[in-house]
Amino acid sequence: MLVFERPSETAVASAVDALRKDFGERAVTSHSVREHHSHGEGMRDAGLPDVVVFPETNEEVASIVKLCNQARIPVIAFGTGTSLEGHLKALYGGVCIDLSRMNNILQVNAEDLDCRVQAGVTREQLNAEIRSTGLFFPIDPGANASLGGMSATRASGTNAVRYGTMKENILGLTVVTPDGRIIKTGTRARKSSAGYDLTRLYVGSEGTLGIITEIQLKLYGVPERISAAVCQFDELSNAVNVVITAMQLGIPMARIELLDEVQMDACIKYSKLEGFAAKPTLFMEFHGTDAYVAEQIEQMKSITADYGGSDYRFADKPEDRTKLWKARHDAYWAGMSYKPGNQAFATDSCVPISRLADCIAAAKAEIAKTSLTCMIVGHVGDGNFHVQISFNPDNAQEREQAETAAAQIARIAIGMGGTCTGEHGIGIHKLDALKEEHGEAVDVMRTIKKALDPNNIMNPGKTIPMN
Amino acid sequence: MIETWQQQIKAAAAKGEKLAIKGSGSKSFLAPVRVGLTLDTRSHAGIVEYDPKELVIVVKCGTRVADVEKAMADAGQMLAFEPPHFGDDSTIGGTVAAGISGPRRAYAGAVRDFVLGAKVIDGKGDHLSFGGKVMKNVAGFDVSRLLVGSFGSLGVITEVAFKCLPLPKAQATRVFEMDAATAIEAMNRWYAEADPITATTWVDGKLHVRFAGAEPAVNTAVQKRGGEALVNDVDWWRDWREQRHAFFASAKELHRVSCKSTAPATDDMRTAIEWGGALRWVHADEASAAKIRYQASRAGGYASVWRGGASTHASAAQSLSDPLKDIHAKIKASFDPYNVFPSLSSSAGEGARQGG
Repeated sequence: MLVFERPSETAVASAVDALRKDFGERAVTSHSVREHHSHGEGMRDAGLPDVVVFPETNEEVASIVKLCNQARIPVIAFGTGTSLEGHLKALYGGVCIDLSRMNNILQVNAEDLDCRVQAGVTREQLNAEIRSTGLFFPIDPGANASLGGMSATRASGTNAVRYGTMKENILGLTVVTPDGRIIKTGTRARKSSAGYDLTRLYVGSEGTLGIITEIQLKLYGVPERISAAVCQFDELSNAVNVVITAMQLGIPMARIELLDEVQMDACIKYSKLEGFAAKPTLFMEFHGTDAYVAEQIEQMKSITADYGGSDYRFADKPEDRTKLWKARHDAYWAGMSYKPGNQAFATDSCVPISRLADCIAAAKAEIAKTSLTCMIVGHVGDGNFHVQISFNPDNAQEREQAETAAAQIARIAIGMGGTCTGEHGIGIHKLDALKEEHGEAVDVMRTIKKALDPNNIMNPGKTIPMN
Repeated sequence: MIETWQQQIKAAAAKGEKLAIKGSGSKSFLAPVRVGLTLDTRSHAGIVEYDPKELVIVVKCGTRVADVEKAMADAGQMLAFEPPHFGDDSTIGGTVAAGISGPRRAYAGAVRDFVLGAKVIDGKGDHLSFGGKVMKNVAGFDVSRLLVGSFGSLGVITEVAFKCLPLPKAQATRVFEMDAATAIEAMNRWYAEADPITATTWVDGKLHVRFAGAEPAVNTAVQKRGGEALVNDVDWWRDWREQRHAFFASAKELHRVSCKSTAPATDDMRTAIEWGGALRWVHADEASAAKIRYQASRAGGYASVWRGGASTHASAAQSLSDPLKDIHAKIKASFDPYNVFPSLSSSAGEGARQGG
């Protein structure tokens, strides 16, 4: 059954005409621009929108959505195009709203530790512009994503253990609803809002309930001391046990990231890291006062010694730290280029931390059944890890093997009391896994979707299985 | 128990009757007006799953908060949002449904930040599971957090999985004599300077700051900031959290103001300040109520009557804009199409609908 009926060519043509009239050169129909907006960074099964519009204000976004709602044409919001689960594929054509021109930082309230940004501001842009205030925004998915996109996908990154994910760091939103109204959720008050917590509903709704146009975000003081360290292990399970022990003791790690031997090999080659072996590795970062950081490091050293970890290699200078974390953030691209001509895609399981070693082993066993190569990188402090499966895109059999293995890995995680997606979201690729994970609860999600977007124009075919 | 409740809800839905979900009643003064048969959550109690190593605890709705905290403390852990009990038998279900957090809220997070997943029986009698028991989950809409602060208007929360945090190794509270304006500035600046603060309260001309965490961090902060040591600080903070401090007892009408943390102090009304400045408690009367609301909205927040107020004040839900009201009604109908449960806006206590 079709989730959505593609609008008629005449309906699309007249909407495009209307948008051209209102937006002039900011309504684009060239193939290259539509192609650029047809996919994220995941599997490139492009689905082209009919037109890409570049609004500059909330009101302009509202006017586009209103038009689309009247004409029953799909609306897909686009930030920087870095999502991984097919969120941007225009399954039924329609209007892509590119928010990159809404890139103003509207307020920085240094004393209140918050700011308000337009959806098109990227995380790196925000951090560059607030540097002089001594504050920073910690959420860092691999890509330099837009904050609107990060909100819409409930993104997280390497800092989640200490600073949380997007959902803990958003105070409020401006959202354009499917009928083209502009609403505000939350207030400047950090703590609470009247009525249901709509902010949390829109965060992570992947553009299916409305378009996030402004975000009020928490900021944090840059710590007095930041110290990064790397420790290597002979056995992956030892590295995992170090993480479990550290979490148990409440050591406030800012970052603790695991790379297995294959991923480490890929990163050494891709990012030209020197002096490391292709072994299971923990990348760590400590934040705090001088004394506090020193104590955290001593505690961690004693834990890693118990599990046969190597000596620490420190990166205290900002440029060294940047190089180290750039290598970690580029793990996806390192995986992509590990085998010439191959592509890779990443699973996103999150399991109870005690099952992490088991789940990783089971995932590896799943890949071992195939002829494919995989590598593992994980935000292990949260129990979240990615298996990057490398395959030849021109080989249908390899691709099928990769997809089957990924689905099976999601199933294994769900069976261990975990989730199929800790941070990438559902998009189009995990609709079946969502049903498996949430069962009848999906019915309520669908009811909410139908109630708030009765014409199903907001990113149709994504996030919530409609049948 | 679950099946009995499911039957009860289905029967009520079929007959067009109402059900009132209730735990110990400790937060009834905040809840919407409830009519119909009472569904008492206390008959569904107990810890379902708790392995401290996982940093997750799964608890049935009727479990006493005190029992959960005891089990966690024995394992060196805590519910980091420091829930106010407002009664010895206060339940976990009520805590989540009321969505109220204690002094640590501004520093560790709110109830919703620690809810990893929840089970709920909706108004059709279906028992559903949202979220899970892992630290991160972005599968579908974040419904479990929608339940936090829903005051039984969406369904019966039957089970909740919480994220646990280790108890701090060291704790010390220091007291500083200062006026409200100085206290607001200090609370904000010290926190921005990354002091290990876990609670702040300014009341009666004194700022109380609780430092907690690793011992060296606490010692450093205490030395740096000075002040006087507060003996029995554990008791003091518990009394403050439970609103047993004299400041609360002496209020005829108490307003709760949620605002940006640097909002200026109002010196013409008796006020206490916590959460680093983001939460203000104000002694009010009929004459000052409007002024409090005005000042709160100028400070980027809002005010509501917590205790003792006349029910004529515009409730928070009633003050929502039309599109927001519309969205609220649609969410309510998605869970409870036959209106078995009370609506969020049919409120007696004005403190209701104050998640956080």
